[in-house]
Amino acid sequence: MDMFSNLSLGFGVALSFQNLALCFVGCLVGTLIGVLPGVGPIATISILLPITFGLDPTGALIMLAGIYYGAQYGGSTTAILVNIPGEATAVVTTLDGHQMAKQGRAGIALGTAAIGSFVAGCFATVVIAALGAPLTKMALLFGPAEYFSLMVMGLCFAVVLARGSILKAFCMIMLGLLLSTVGTDLETGQERLTFGIPALADGIDFSVLAMGIFGFAEVLRNLETPEARDVVRAKIGRLLPGWSDIKQSAMPCMRGTVIGGTLGILPGNGAVLGPFASYTVEKKIAKDPSRFGKGAIEGVAGPESANNAGAQTAFIPLLTLGIPPNAVMALMVGAMTIHGIIPGPQVMTRNPELFWGMIASMWIGNLMLLIINLPLVGLWVKLLQVPYRLMFPAILIFCCIGIYSVNNQPLDVAFTAMFGLFGYLLIKLGFEPAPLLLGFVLGKLMEEKLRQALIISRGSFMTFLERPISAGLLLVAVAVLVVALMPSMAKKRDEVFTE
Amino acid sequence: MKKTVIGLAAAMTLALAGGAHAQGYPTKPVTMIVPFAAGGPTDIIARIVGDHMSKTLGQQIVIENVAGAGGTTGITRAMTAAPDGYTIAMGHLGTFSAAPATYPGLKYDPINGIQPIGLAGGTPILIVARKNLEANDLKSFVAAVKANPDKFNEAHAGLGSVSWTTCTLLKGQLGVPKLNAVAYRGTGPALNDLVSGQIDFMCDQIVSVSEQVKAGTIKAFAVASAQRSPALPDVPTTTEAGLPEYQIEAWNGLAAPKGTPKEAVDKLVDALNKALNDENTKKRLLDLGAVIPTATDRTPEGFGALIKRDAAKLDPALKSAPR
Amino acid sequence: MSLNQIERARGLRIRSSQDFAAGLFMIVLAVLALVLARDLPMGSLRQIGPGMLPTWFSIFCAALGLLQIVGSLRFNGEALSGWSWRGVIFVLGGACVFGLTIRGFDFGPIRFPSLGLLVAGPLVMLISGLAANDLKWKELIIFTVAMSAACILLFKYALSLPIPLAPWLLGI
Repeated sequence: MDMFSNLSLGFGVALSFQNLALCFVGCLVGTLIGVLPGVGPIATISILLPITFGLDPTGALIMLAGIYYGAQYGGSTTAILVNIPGEATAVVTTLDGHQMAKQGRAGIALGTAAIGSFVAGCFATVVIAALGAPLTKMALLFGPAEYFSLMVMGLCFAVVLARGSILKAFCMIMLGLLLSTVGTDLETGQERLTFGIPALADGIDFSVLAMGIFGFAEVLRNLETPEARDVVRAKIGRLLPGWSDIKQSAMPCMRGTVIGGTLGILPGNGAVLGPFASYTVEKKIAKDPSRFGKGAIEGVAGPESANNAGAQTAFIPLLTLGIPPNAVMALMVGAMTIHGIIPGPQVMTRNPELFWGMIASMWIGNLMLLIINLPLVGLWVKLLQVPYRLMFPAILIFCCIGIYSVNNQPLDVAFTAMFGLFGYLLIKLGFEPAPLLLGFVLGKLMEEKLRQALIISRGSFMTFLERPISAGLLLVAVAVLVVALMPSMAKKRDEVFTE
Repeated sequence: MKKTVIGLAAAMTLALAGGAHAQGYPTKPVTMIVPFAAGGPTDIIARIVGDHMSKTLGQQIVIENVAGAGGTTGITRAMTAAPDGYTIAMGHLGTFSAAPATYPGLKYDPINGIQPIGLAGGTPILIVARKNLEANDLKSFVAAVKANPDKFNEAHAGLGSVSWTTCTLLKGQLGVPKLNAVAYRGTGPALNDLVSGQIDFMCDQIVSVSEQVKAGTIKAFAVASAQRSPALPDVPTTTEAGLPEYQIEAWNGLAAPKGTPKEAVDKLVDALNKALNDENTKKRLLDLGAVIPTATDRTPEGFGALIKRDAAKLDPALKSAPR
Repeated sequence: MSLNQIERARGLRIRSSQDFAAGLFMIVLAVLALVLARDLPMGSLRQIGPGMLPTWFSIFCAALGLLQIVGSLRFNGEALSGWSWRGVIFVLGGACVFGLTIRGFDFGPIRFPSLGLLVAGPLVMLISGLAANDLKWKELIIFTVAMSAACILLFKYALSLPIPLAPWLLGI
């Protein structure tokens, strides 16, 4: 078969000593920066770009790709241990992953994340190799109208995702959407809700908001209740998942891989939705949904697999169409063009050793990540034993340096502190910040796609219902919402009567 | 443990302090501000040119990406920095020639308030359309747009971007300034929708679209330069295709704050010149579809004149563009 | 007596101060956003203006806040809990000091010097360290020195981020 001869060509390239070494370096650096809160793959890849000048293009891209998926891996470590999502895709991992850590199951959470990611990575590699070219057509089916409907569906998922009051979850999503409109309007260049502050002209940065309402606010919450944080380090527990854990997480892992892999192909950073969608699905089909948000292992296995699968299938539009679906992939375009390879539909035929070498190296990279990370799980968990009075200043200096280096803007650090206060207030008011972050991430895209769709349809809302894919997505959204709202309304009514 | 740590810190401080006492400019790393995210066309040119300039200057050129507001955030920071030659910026057509008309509250004056260093590279602009559009050449396309402007959708990468600036100029020259413009966050998603036929046409730098044109997923009407591009030799120039007034290039160039000492400017001009004469650097830029600047454009005077010329060309179209 | 009458007999009072405050919080933010967005053109459906979505999102926020308040009057819920100023002041203060001193900052007439990572790093750790109620000075200082050195080596040298180190001392 063609695929096998291609893959063997790829493995021939990827298994050369130099490329193996580059892959290893990439995975190691990626894991490191992923673990450090704030320093994301975008900053690192752009800094390391000039270093790759001296390498051949295949080696350079193998290393950069290693940094990218290594960072996705490392990001979940921080999400689980200190409840800071370094990347939008790690937001969901904080929900159950950090709860597991609080229950002394940090090692198992990290192990599950690592194994789940590996399984997803293997699967995604095969998918890219086998279906890369035909799947590209799927990306082309999604126009602005479909994309808008997908976002609506994502937000409805977020409601289901919520822990506690559904009304409060709605509030958070709306607030997230409102925050996403801050900044210069894309079409007219008018400044919106910026108080005239130039640093806000480009809107609120994701890492500023996430570090603020998750990172800093979490530190404030922990300082207030010393008992809660002591629990985390009192019990370390087992490091590797046992048989029952594996049995419990096997199916979520497979489902997460399929969901994440599918959404990752979509243009405009569809990979963000993967973990959210996977979490929602797991919560919906679980026998006892109330365990979610309290340390359910499925809530780590599913989203982590989805995250990693999406991170890899995001390469499909780049490698087959030459169209970068997100910021990191845009950097990859930069890296390829620096080496004289203009990404596009012809890369596969003109540079087969680069295309297949990269795909083969992804599988090797995933194996390396597992080997690097499993022994490290013990080390990461030991970090939790550092007394909190020393841990939080360390978290703080990492966050400060990380935030500063995102845009080299000192004011960003002050904004993060402000959002820390905001996040602390949210905690005090009983709000759960995860839906806010999702609303924020999707809000920008949603507004952009809504406006595009309406310009193209000349102002007709019917465009969302006339296009079959868009209509289907909206239907799912409504169904999810109805299912989510019915029991909660019933519950509230019960409360009235029993009062 | 304590002693080792303190000792290490002290040793490090000494080692660092020792490195900073060479004579004459430059004695420390030079910061080159790139006002866009890493990986974009401007960033790539900055890194390729900066890499070689570091060798001539004998000091590292540190690229600092300060993105925001169509590049004006980064340029503002660079142009208001201390004029000591240690802060320079790689701007482009948008930040130097189009910005005054695009951003009324601009905090720097690219015509009189900066110290130009030289042009680093130009990239031709291509007019591209979805592959199943009826028109097959520029003339019939222009005729169709003029006859029925409401039937067309144009895509661009947001206010202030190169694609917005150049397409606004085109629409102004065609007399259809109000043509439906669909804004995207970046040319990547815009290109995706052009390939899938959701939108009808856009103007963009040749490097972003040439592979798609070669693969036949979109079609190119003309390149807005004086000569055809070696990357796409079959695509006619706008002059050949019957729209000679549409001439625009997305160039990138270096500038420093006004008042930068002459010694520093001269050294930077020399380093840029040497970088552009280097075969390896040249090849890298040519691979990008870039045009290597002429000797005049590499001088501060020539580059300053180019900024002024293009500003005059863009001004009327940008000011009358619907907001 | 019907349930409705029981409700009425109890009268309207705040049954959950947390929910009530949450509702108020949403309304305040929504009104703030509405005021800020009042001059932005709404546009039409065909060409949505910059003000359309911020305005609608604010209206939704306010409506949800109102629902929250109504809910807080009808259902029992949690009360507001105490607020710890110590953490807020030292932790967030420390971060602000880092932001202001890392590369210098002009705030009206006040000018913050550009101290660089060599000073701003230890500053943020020492200031925020004060927030711990089991503070041990000696331990904190040793840890600060070690962490700052590690951060400088890691970020400035290993990852070579363009972050100022100590412009006043080393010029970089």
